Amino acid sequence: MTKIFHEIRDPIHVFIHLDWYEKKVLDSRPFQRLRNITQLALTYLLYPGATHKRFEHSLGVMELASRVFEVITKPTNVTDEVKGLLPDLGNADALPYWKHVLRMAALCHDIGHLPFSHAAEEELLPKGWTHERLSRSLIESDEMRAIWKSMVPRLDPEDIVKLAVGARKAKDLQFSKWEAILSEIIVGDAFGVDRIDYLLRDSHHTGVAYGKFDHYRLIDELRNLPSFEGSSEPALGINGGGIYSAEALALARYFMFSQVYYHPIRLIYDRHLMDFLSAWLSQGTLLPVGTFPIDIEGHLKTTDDEINAAMRIAASDAKAPGHHAAHCIMRHCHYKVLYERDPQDAKLNSEPGAAIARAAEIEFGKDPVRYSKPKVKDVATDFPVRGRDGRILAAISASETLSKLQPTAMEYVFIDPQLKDKAKTWLGKNRDKILAAAGEQEDQDHEA
Amino acid sequence: MKHSQRAALLTLLNREMLNRGSWCGETHIQKAAFFLQDLLGVDSGFEFILYRHGPFSFDLRDELSSMQAEDLLELAMRREGYGPTYVPTPFSETFLERFPRTTARYLEQIRFVAAELGDKAVAELERLATAFFILDREGIVDLKRRALRLVELKPHISLPEARFACEQVDSLIERARPFMLEEEE
Repeated sequence: MTKIFHEIRDPIHVFIHLDWYEKKVLDSRPFQRLRNITQLALTYLLYPGATHKRFEHSLGVMELASRVFEVITKPTNVTDEVKGLLPDLGNADALPYWKHVLRMAALCHDIGHLPFSHAAEEELLPKGWTHERLSRSLIESDEMRAIWKSMVPRLDPEDIVKLAVGARKAKDLQFSKWEAILSEIIVGDAFGVDRIDYLLRDSHHTGVAYGKFDHYRLIDELRNLPSFEGSSEPALGINGGGIYSAEALALARYFMFSQVYYHPIRLIYDRHLMDFLSAWLSQGTLLPVGTFPIDIEGHLKTTDDEINAAMRIAASDAKAPGHHAAHCIMRHCHYKVLYERDPQDAKLNSEPGAAIARAAEIEFGKDPVRYSKPKVKDVATDFPVRGRDGRILAAISASETLSKLQPTAMEYVFIDPQLKDKAKTWLGKNRDKILAAAGEQEDQDHEA
Repeated sequence: MKHSQRAALLTLLNREMLNRGSWCGETHIQKAAFFLQDLLGVDSGFEFILYRHGPFSFDLRDELSSMQAEDLLELAMRREGYGPTYVPTPFSETFLERFPRTTARYLEQIRFVAAELGDKAVAELERLATAFFILDREGIVDLKRRALRLVELKPHISLPEARFACEQVDSLIERARPFMLEEEE
């Protein structure tokens, strides 16, 4: 007899339940491919436990999205004011449809990821392409459409796309207030379950305990609220009683970024990986243009496995394209930190690391120097809080802790280990001069 | 425009908006930057879509975060029950002094936007910016059709409010003409 419901054991959420249609998505080629895409790229070279995959993360996101949906649509958690802002909450017949859409969107939100997740995305996809756009192509592919079409009620792929990638990445689509809220459940800056799952899961696998927080309490206190007192715009907010767990989430994110995601050694391995991929792809192995494939079949064929095998061969063949980068990765002889952004230097020049990297390239050549400026992460304190007296407060007004959190700018310049001592001496002598000269050029229209 | 020049532009916009009495929450800055770019032609490189309270740019949101990280802006609470305000840091004036060309080039446009929008609250900014978005992006010139489209996109706005917003935008465009920049290379 065909099983209607399935359950999967998970180290974070214990059991994840799937229905028959979700199992079909699980068994599809795009989803099974995620078994071979590491969540944290080469982070396992620093944190050996970090070998987990996008596969289990996507299941976790579905589980959490479902829990949030149940909480924020529960009639006792919806005030009349919010019903006025979001009439969909009163449409009991439509809610099961949207729950299906939300769960499918959560399952599929990462299916467009390239090998090694984010490490090579910006540089190695054709202009205008992102992993979200690839996810969208896959959700709208014939293979996946057949599943959406077979469902009762039938799911509209555009609805799944909206919730899976959000307004930031689906700029051509118009979002109703309800769709915007549902997409926030998955990809939202403040309480998106993508973020909640990856913090918990990455923390578990890296062994870095900072990423843990009381997500049970957090989810239980989430509510649809007006963005601010009297606003016509609803947002995913929290009851005052949940503010401590929201603080813990923000702190977990802060620590995980500083300790794991933006750890300088992880950043330099990303650079080495990108160097290898640029060289490897330029051979025309996948596409002659030197980018990752964006057609569905090409995408489905490319996972970490193919890259790892190629890297292993290139590392031991001095003539192979990308040999040096592959060697740095496989033999753990990564470039070393020459310079780390100092806030005082940033008073002289907005991007002191970039200025030093340019000067180092002139001094030592391009090959031994690498520069990394990870994207500044918003601290995501822009959400409403319902105080005990029923008033809507801004999060930084409701929490002293959140009001103190600031985003952090980071920059690193790396140097070939063989040149480290020489480069340190050079930098010691020239640092102030480099920064002052670069600062004077900032207001010019073009890069000097 | 380079990242640092864009930061100088927004630092100046923040200062001028505050001088004109703006609350200067994120929404106020978003709408002011939208008019600065799409109406006056200051090519700051932000992509605006219809989202929170009308035209909204995720790139601009990222830029504001970067500026906080770079000690150019900070969030402050001015009154309980209201959203936070972006205020300049002690370093921001020193930073602006490094950008005499950028600030001189766009000062008139920034002052125009600040003078026109500085006293407006979120609800009014939403109506005006969305009305201009419809004209600019969807090319709907007829006032009645534009007002109907505004109500369709923002059902909490009444038809008389929508019509008034469209009229205000038409008049704003006329006042803006002397400050409009030619398309930059």
